[in-house]
Amino acid sequence: MNENDNVDQSDLKGGTFWKKQKAVPGRPSPQKEVKNVAHHNSAPASSFQDFQESVRDAWEIEDDDEFGVADVKISKQVAKSAALSVLNSHRNRGAAKAPSAKTGVSATNAKSARGQPQIHVKPVLLPPIQSSSTKTASTSENNQGKIAKFQTLIESPLLNLDELRQLSWSGVPVEIRPNTWRLLAGYLPASLERRQQALERKRLDYWNLVNQYYDIKERDETHQDTYRQIHIDIPRMSPLIALFQQKAVQEMFERILFIWAIRHPASGYVQGINDLVTPFFIVFLQEVLTSDDNMDSVEISSLLEEKVKSIEADTFWCLSKFLDGIQDNYIFAQLGIQQKVNQLKDLIQRIDGSLHKHLQKHGIDYLQFSFRWMNNLLTRELPLRCSIRLWDTYLAEADSYASLHKYVCAAFLLNWRQQLLNEKDFQGLMLLLQNLPTQHWTDGDIGMLVAEAYRLKFTFADAPNHLQTGEIS
Amino acid sequence: MGTRDDEYDYLFKVVLIGDSGVGKSNLLSRFTRNEFNLESKSTIGVEFATRSIQVDGKTIKAQIWDTAGQERYRAITSAYYRGAVGALLVYDIAKHLTYENVERWLRELRDHADQNIVIMLVGNKSDLRHLRAVPTDEAKTFAERNSLSFIETSALDSTNVETAFQNILTEIYRIVSQKQIRDPPEGDLIRPQNVEPIDVKPTVNSDSVRKQCCQ
Repeated sequence: MNENDNVDQSDLKGGTFWKKQKAVPGRPSPQKEVKNVAHHNSAPASSFQDFQESVRDAWEIEDDDEFGVADVKISKQVAKSAALSVLNSHRNRGAAKAPSAKTGVSATNAKSARGQPQIHVKPVLLPPIQSSSTKTASTSENNQGKIAKFQTLIESPLLNLDELRQLSWSGVPVEIRPNTWRLLAGYLPASLERRQQALERKRLDYWNLVNQYYDIKERDETHQDTYRQIHIDIPRMSPLIALFQQKAVQEMFERILFIWAIRHPASGYVQGINDLVTPFFIVFLQEVLTSDDNMDSVEISSLLEEKVKSIEADTFWCLSKFLDGIQDNYIFAQLGIQQKVNQLKDLIQRIDGSLHKHLQKHGIDYLQFSFRWMNNLLTRELPLRCSIRLWDTYLAEADSYASLHKYVCAAFLLNWRQQLLNEKDFQGLMLLLQNLPTQHWTDGDIGMLVAEAYRLKFTFADAPNHLQTGEIS
Repeated sequence: MGTRDDEYDYLFKVVLIGDSGVGKSNLLSRFTRNEFNLESKSTIGVEFATRSIQVDGKTIKAQIWDTAGQERYRAITSAYYRGAVGALLVYDIAKHLTYENVERWLRELRDHADQNIVIMLVGNKSDLRHLRAVPTDEAKTFAERNSLSFIETSALDSTNVETAFQNILTEIYRIVSQKQIRDPPEGDLIRPQNVEPIDVKPTVNSDSVRKQCCQ
């Protein structure tokens, strides 16, 4: 541990380690961002190039990808070709009647190129306990370096949270994910020396809540309804994963959700929130398992009670912090979701008019497919390991992840553009949209998804008229 | 994705409603894919599936919307009642509370669905004989009093699932075709001219109808 720290420190000082700047991959470097804004109207092509240049590092982060380097090469090519075609379409925009359609075409090329040479890995239901086990020598080295970098940050007397966020945005190595998540969620304090104490106190707090509200003979009627609904949903939440069929695990989920629900009466428990517990639970469970344990078959009741109780409490508090950002999704009439679905629709209309028209023409309503994307933060659409990777980024985004999620959904939809355009009726479209084939997705796919989402956010969020037909010339 | 069966005479939109956990999704998967999952995940929002059947030599395509049962989802799911010509209102014969809530679901339909929507009361999980909490006669009487058709099904052992969908689709078909005899539509479109009784306009696939008469 200490040795690692030393190595890392010296690397940082020498400036030779990994990437030199502190900039977050995928985020434009500050100077260029200013320049970009200033020149936007006068020279859209060159300023876009600046932007593309400033965020190109987002396409290079694959060092925590468990499954080798094939994706990296593809993504670089794609980044370039996408940039070129976008630039071209921007250049031609002045005269073009339907610029958004053009951009749409270039997006197709990018997406199909990206989709083709996918390496096929066996779908793993649960993530590995150690990321290095499946790696090649060089990526493993990279990973060790990344871990060391995280550790230096985490173990400094006063945490630099911004830096940790920047580092986490492109993915957190599995070995240091538990503590990183605790810190990103704001569950652990920045001060190193206060952490252990804070952790113990919060864990105790949680179990006091359980004693006070859960372990009682008679719950009042409204709480009884909540309990009933949770009790119906928990046994059927991950029917294919043996771990979740264990009674001990199901009871943990029931307590976590019940306590959360009664502490948030404006929303209460809403179906789907149960899926949002899972990533936290898995990450904190991983922490107490050894590399010999098989996540899928480990008997929870065989673990030390103390450890199991800590997993539950940590899951509860991190979930609570996380859900604070999307509370309006679950209140009456689910207004937050309705609003986000409408925003997604507007976004797609602007980014890819031809796909939007295609969906409209066949009577597809965005609510029909993207409601679940919003309500469950894509957990139903992605394998669990990918959701965990996605949440590295979301936790790194802190309060603004709900806004980023919209763009992730947009990027996700655009990812299937060609398949969707190939479907020629309502039925085909709906069935595809409800069952998008992500079984073989890896961390690398999520890396590209969030990078694309970030690009879309940068391009469209602060420019409400960007690509709006005929408005700007 | 099975989109080639787009030749049909009628397209009917049907919704599946009822309390959480009564087996709506399994009824749907049994009918459309002949599948059953003992632990199928809760439905979030709405989910869609489809299947075509034959009635009187006509092809009827059912477009079925499965809805989330939890109260919180009502605002979203009720939007899907619009344009539906049929509803399967499902309860669990082993859980009395889900039967008691049938009245609330009927109110939901009255408030949000077409007033002529055909409703079938479905007591699901009939395989759980030893756990039965709702007597068949009681439900039957209730259905008669409220002019609903009634059937008991088991998505698990397939009992009556086919019949349930067949019956409701046939019933809708009879109403629509009688309506056509009474008020012959102009051209080939199935389009009710007056107010009552069933409005199938939103679900008519005009592309396919056009194709049929031109080829």
